[in-house]
Amino acid sequence: MPAITVDELTKRFGQTVALETLSFEVEDGEVFGFLGPNGAGKSTTINVLLDFVRPTSGSASVLGMDAQRQSREIRQRTGVLPEGVELYDRLTARQHLEFVIDSKDATDDPEALLERVGLTDAIDRKAGGYSKGMAQRLMLAMALVGEPDLLILDEPSTGLDPNGAREMREIVREENERGATVFFSSHIMEQVETVCDRVGILRDGQMVAVDSVEGLRDSVDGGTTLRVTVDQIDDDALQAIRSLPDVTDATVESHAPPTVVVTVDGSKTAVLSVLEDRGIEIQDFETTEASLDDVFQSYTTDTETEVHAQ
Amino acid sequence: MSTETGAGTDATDAGNSPASSIDLESVRAVAKKDFQDAVRSWLFWGLSAFFFTLMAALAGFLSWANPDSFTTISFIALVSQVCKLIIPLIALLLGWKAIAGEREAGSIKILLSLPHSRKDVLLGKLLGRTAVLSLSLLIGFLIAMVAVVFAVSEFSFPAYIAFLAMTIVYGLAYMSIAVSLSSLTRSTTMAGAAMFGIFVLFYIVWNSIRTALGLLMQRGYIEGVTYTTMGLTGQQIETTRLPDWALFIDMIDPGNAYQNTITLFSALSSDRIGTRFPTAAFPDGVPFYLEDWFSLLILLFWSAVPLAIALYRFDRVDI
Repeated sequence: MPAITVDELTKRFGQTVALETLSFEVEDGEVFGFLGPNGAGKSTTINVLLDFVRPTSGSASVLGMDAQRQSREIRQRTGVLPEGVELYDRLTARQHLEFVIDSKDATDDPEALLERVGLTDAIDRKAGGYSKGMAQRLMLAMALVGEPDLLILDEPSTGLDPNGAREMREIVREENERGATVFFSSHIMEQVETVCDRVGILRDGQMVAVDSVEGLRDSVDGGTTLRVTVDQIDDDALQAIRSLPDVTDATVESHAPPTVVVTVDGSKTAVLSVLEDRGIEIQDFETTEASLDDVFQSYTTDTETEVHAQ
Repeated sequence: MSTETGAGTDATDAGNSPASSIDLESVRAVAKKDFQDAVRSWLFWGLSAFFFTLMAALAGFLSWANPDSFTTISFIALVSQVCKLIIPLIALLLGWKAIAGEREAGSIKILLSLPHSRKDVLLGKLLGRTAVLSLSLLIGFLIAMVAVVFAVSEFSFPAYIAFLAMTIVYGLAYMSIAVSLSSLTRSTTMAGAAMFGIFVLFYIVWNSIRTALGLLMQRGYIEGVTYTTMGLTGQQIETTRLPDWALFIDMIDPGNAYQNTITLFSALSSDRIGTRFPTAAFPDGVPFYLEDWFSLLILLFWSAVPLAIALYRFDRVDI
């Protein structure tokens, strides 16, 4: 049974179409990255899953239950980190957690939860004085209450420094190992690629790609880009490079100093050998992998969808 | 649907979005949190101090002026004049942001991502805020009681407590209006405007209606009821009063209803002040809807009806 099933979901706000016949599934026990630029409809999707907004048409089910009719039962078993939310200024971290524990009829220890998210120091301080990162840590702790079967994290890295974001991903991994399904939305690829089993890319209310991280990477026509700075370059050398079996493209990027940009799938040393054999001195070179960011860009911007790592 | 705006989708969805259920444990949890939150605000402590000062100052003044036979009920009648005007302001002030504020700050998503239904949240908010108002009334009234005991000729504890209880019911009525309106609006700006509307309605418009009806009667547009009473010197005086329905309109105002209920418990002290309307004014008997107990019903109406509408509506909107 999938943890989340979204079926032909459409949501309109007046004339604005937020989601358009969106369908996807999140498997039980996986970490699913829900990726898309701001305004793509990620939050609207989450809002439907939690019954904050009602679909114009289509349906959603969570943990095998109808998102609207059995919302209370769903939320009993789901931990949520909402996006763009202020905490209660006058309540401390402990009181926030006690409220969640009380609400879910759970038995967690507020201190242990705060220790997991690294906020023990602030346990009895009022949330009004928290930084954005501290607030985010507290909200993550609140989402963990009651060992939920499903975690819905909406832009969880907001306000976290790189270290905090790494700790957050570590907790996502731990929760996943415990058996929880994690639904993780973000507009930044690199935050999902290291933790997610699968990634869905949302654009203008529609899912444009759903695949594993590897699958997405493979879908990009790109390979490795090799950038070589040399003392001189001629057309013969360029032709020789282009004729190499692994090379798909080679161009001269600039002439002062001459720089050759080569797109290569296999051995990079062959390219360097060709140059050296012709007595061309290699002054510098660097390689770049086609990143998932490029994949993301290709799916979410209006340029032609072929990616050229350049 | 031609007028499809943000709210326009509600109607189409009403059919497939079932009404949420009420879970008392959830209501309690929400109310407790809301109480914890509000009880830490300066507003709460300001209120308690205000009520205490109000009561103690009045009692102190009275014991100094020392009028003859100033009873508990006379004191209550005096304080109720002030409470009638102050309680609505405080309730609106405490309640206007209850839901709209959380929607604006987004924290409503914290409440609603927990296993609470929207109805639980509304009821919990109403109870939490009413508890805050009630507690500040309780603290103020009890501390001030010391002064009141010395100020009045014959202190009646039951009447005093009954007055406190009735004031709490009055506060509940206005809190229900405030929280309900707060849930029907999307922003605190709109909620604030709604609170101002309520203020204008009951402080200005309602009083004007009464004056206007009186004028219309004088001009002969409305037929009044003429009756005779015994004057101070024993002569017969002919008086005209507004017809029953006009008196009833006046009674609908929560503030008037609140003041009318004082006659209900005056019997608890030795000082009966009788009913609001003299029996002589009703040769055919007082209609049931003008009897004093009906005022209590009106207060309960104001507590229940806005809430019922809000419970229905809030289930059907997009957060």
